[in-house]
Amino acid sequence: MSERSRPSDYGAESARIVRDDPGMRTSITGAVRSKHEKRQAAWAEIDAEAWRDWARDVKTHVLTHLDRYLPQAEDALLRNGVKVHWAETAAQACDVVTRIAADHGARRVVKAKSMLTEEIGLNESLERAGLEVRETDLGEYIIQLLDEPPSHIVGPSLHRSLEDCRRLFHDRFGTPLDASPETLAATARRILRDDFLQADMGVSGANFLAADTGTIALIENEGNIRISTSIPPVHVAVVGIEKLVPKFEDLAGLIQLTARSATGQAIGNYVSLIQGPRRPGERDGPDEVHVVFVDNGRTRLLADEHAWEVLRCVRCGACLNSCPVYRQTGGHAYGWAYSGPIGAILAPGILGLEAAMPLPFASSLCGACAEVCPVRIPIPELLVYWRERAVEEGLTPTVDGVAMKVWAALAEHPGAFGVASDVVGALPLEGAGRKLPVLRGWMGERAAPVPSPERFLNTSSRKEEGT
Amino acid sequence: MSPRNRILGYVRGATASRPRVPHPGRFDGRFLAGDDRPPMERFAEQFTASGGEVERFVDTEAAVRWLGEFTRGYESVTVGVTVPGRLRPALPSTCPDLAPLGVSAAVAAVAETGSLVLDARDGRRTQLLAPTHVVFVREQDIHETLVGAMVTLQPDLPSAVGLHSGPSKSADIGQILVRGVHGPGRIVAAVIGEAGPV
Amino acid sequence: MPYSDAASARLSDERGGDAPRSPTRVAFFATCLADRFFADACADAVRILEHLGVAVDVPDGQTCCGQPAYNAGHRAEATRMARQTAKAFAAADHVVLPSGSCAGMIRSFYPSLLRAAKSGAPGLAPRAHELSSFLVHELGVLGPDWRDHEGDPPRIGAGLEGVGVVYHHGCHALRELGVHDEPVALLRACGADVVPWGGDTECCGFGGLFSTKFPEVSSGMADRKLDALPPDIDFVTSADGGCLLQLSGRARHLAREDGAQAPSASPTPRTSNPAPGFVHLATLLRRGLGA
Repeated sequence: MSERSRPSDYGAESARIVRDDPGMRTSITGAVRSKHEKRQAAWAEIDAEAWRDWARDVKTHVLTHLDRYLPQAEDALLRNGVKVHWAETAAQACDVVTRIAADHGARRVVKAKSMLTEEIGLNESLERAGLEVRETDLGEYIIQLLDEPPSHIVGPSLHRSLEDCRRLFHDRFGTPLDASPETLAATARRILRDDFLQADMGVSGANFLAADTGTIALIENEGNIRISTSIPPVHVAVVGIEKLVPKFEDLAGLIQLTARSATGQAIGNYVSLIQGPRRPGERDGPDEVHVVFVDNGRTRLLADEHAWEVLRCVRCGACLNSCPVYRQTGGHAYGWAYSGPIGAILAPGILGLEAAMPLPFASSLCGACAEVCPVRIPIPELLVYWRERAVEEGLTPTVDGVAMKVWAALAEHPGAFGVASDVVGALPLEGAGRKLPVLRGWMGERAAPVPSPERFLNTSSRKEEGT
Repeated sequence: MSPRNRILGYVRGATASRPRVPHPGRFDGRFLAGDDRPPMERFAEQFTASGGEVERFVDTEAAVRWLGEFTRGYESVTVGVTVPGRLRPALPSTCPDLAPLGVSAAVAAVAETGSLVLDARDGRRTQLLAPTHVVFVREQDIHETLVGAMVTLQPDLPSAVGLHSGPSKSADIGQILVRGVHGPGRIVAAVIGEAGPV
Repeated sequence: MPYSDAASARLSDERGGDAPRSPTRVAFFATCLADRFFADACADAVRILEHLGVAVDVPDGQTCCGQPAYNAGHRAEATRMARQTAKAFAAADHVVLPSGSCAGMIRSFYPSLLRAAKSGAPGLAPRAHELSSFLVHELGVLGPDWRDHEGDPPRIGAGLEGVGVVYHHGCHALRELGVHDEPVALLRACGADVVPWGGDTECCGFGGLFSTKFPEVSSGMADRKLDALPPDIDFVTSADGGCLLQLSGRARHLAREDGAQAPSASPTPRTSNPAPGFVHLATLLRRGLGA
């Protein structure tokens, strides 16, 4: 397993990628721009504000009644013959899944794409227990072969070009260096088909889980999720407790909204609505279905007066696709499973604020994300909220706090503020700027700002004196 | 205390002081432009826009004739349990993972999303493993909206429902669209117009 | 001059009959960044207002709106600066700012920062206006139906005839204030050719302290904008001085670099031409109105 960066590496990683890996920016920018444009077109057809209001309200309703809906969902699942487990932490969740595998003597696991399993580090855990784990989503398969983390919530390999894939498949499977995308896809299909048919266990996440029927809903375009949850004898679904929706029929709206937001489609080409294991009379399907409800910081978020709104997220990735900061580096710079705007506001809840730093600061607060969020999460406000918490908890550089207090003190004394501003104008910014603590960051990449010879407030007050 | 009870305890504590927000009601999914076309037409447009094919038959006779032509050149087939006798191709039957062609019967379809509603009782492997997939559905079973279809399905749900809205596709290889990884790369919705059992 | 008379005449029409009375006196908030780096633009903004028949006060107590502190999570310091600002402008019915960021800060966040305000007087937020928004909505210089003629608004001046510009939509003006068409319409109403610019509503990468904390990402964002600049334009303009410092600073840096070093391995072209000029909206509009 290659060395993965962490959120704390964002500053160095982002600088390195921008400086040394211009191909990354080009790939990411091309890919997300296309997704963003498709999202815009798909939303232009519908009564967007009404859909977003409904989605926000459905998710807010379920979150404010989660104490009722979680037990209700458990009852529905149990009635369907699904085995239900609960895990407070990532480690516990991995233990549960490993135990289920051991109980069945499972050796080979096929995985449908699940960001939650990335979050909890499930693959590494299963491999340590001696299991063979195969990602079956083509993008996840590619990054598994490359031993890289996902670069995007919806398209994990979107930082990789056709050339990269050709080289990878040539090295691993002997395909020609100029193989067509169809040839590469056919190769992957053939190899993974064997894995599907031989697997002892299939692991998925869940896009949504309906509390009344216990339905697990999964959206995709390849079909690997339908296959992974239909062929192996055991299916394990790892589900964040915030994934609940109140009713089966609510799935219709959320599925369509998520598809339009993620890829601009009316719906994903495959949607699975899973009630439980194979029933008498059905010729196939898993013999056992397990749901593992995972907390891993979600209850702490739910209790937070402001941050709980992040739990409405449907993991569509639209915020990533609109983010001008994300497209400079792609997901790797963020150092954990979720990148972009949602990653920055989720990390303090899941990882803890200290471990999440500096992600809440890795944003210019432009607000493009909030414009596209289908469930109206107030992302810029939450970024500022986490920044306030970081300041309160002493996680920001001392010099920043000192500078702010000085600035505020000066601002309360207009005469002194004016003098300070005059001093700034007199400084040789081009030279001195490189040494000053804050301005130094500016100077490496930009020419120093040129002050006006005289401040406006000086000239305007002189003018008044003269009249 | 078990993880379950601790988690539920935290959830109760977290929701206790927050004002509860009511359910907004059934999703009404309004589009900006009204569409008065019959569901069949809207279904066909959506399904073909996603890369699927649509064949339309005025009755089962016509569908049977077409099926005979279509299956020329295939050596074997896997057929769903609920596909009626007349629509089962006259080909040797083989395992879903070996068959070049799969034939299924859908319980319904959805016009606004261009989706075929497939039921586990028909057989999931047949719906997923063969590279070419033919799905029979009655025109009268095409619902206008997804929420409408789901409300109808809810009383009698199988272990799994699959909404198939086009061929398997991926753009994960350099953002270039490829088909058939991992589900069928070709899917034909064969819509039969007459009333009565298919 | 004929066109500025037309603007004044429109104001007179507005004031007659049932139309709400247009403001006749405003306070001007220079904002700390514009005061120091765009003093000319501040003077231009005041001149525009006076030209349109509005008396302008420049209260002494003004310093900083507090946005950099607020955005950096220093809420206490931001609150102190908000109090000072509210105090400085307590007597004004209307406050005009040559900055979308600062106007956005006041309108969006002062209500919650100053919730404990005791005076009972209306808070500063509804009284604060970014310049172009003030001209179009409060003074009505383009008339009431200007949106119907967005591409070809009624003329109010001729001073920008033959001048090609691109408009950078600062994020706070755009997304906090909802200002988008106003500045473009004003430029066109003075004869400017406002040229399409791919990515004109994308963030320039300034983001206040973001630009110094993550300089490479910030500059990458500026590059994306600069690389898409159409050829042969005279000016890049915006209602936000911070954005102009970012874009012009990056453009000048690249121009220096290209002169001194071998080109980088970047596959994207770099804008090294130091022209076009980076100029504040107020300066162009003053010229356009002949004020």
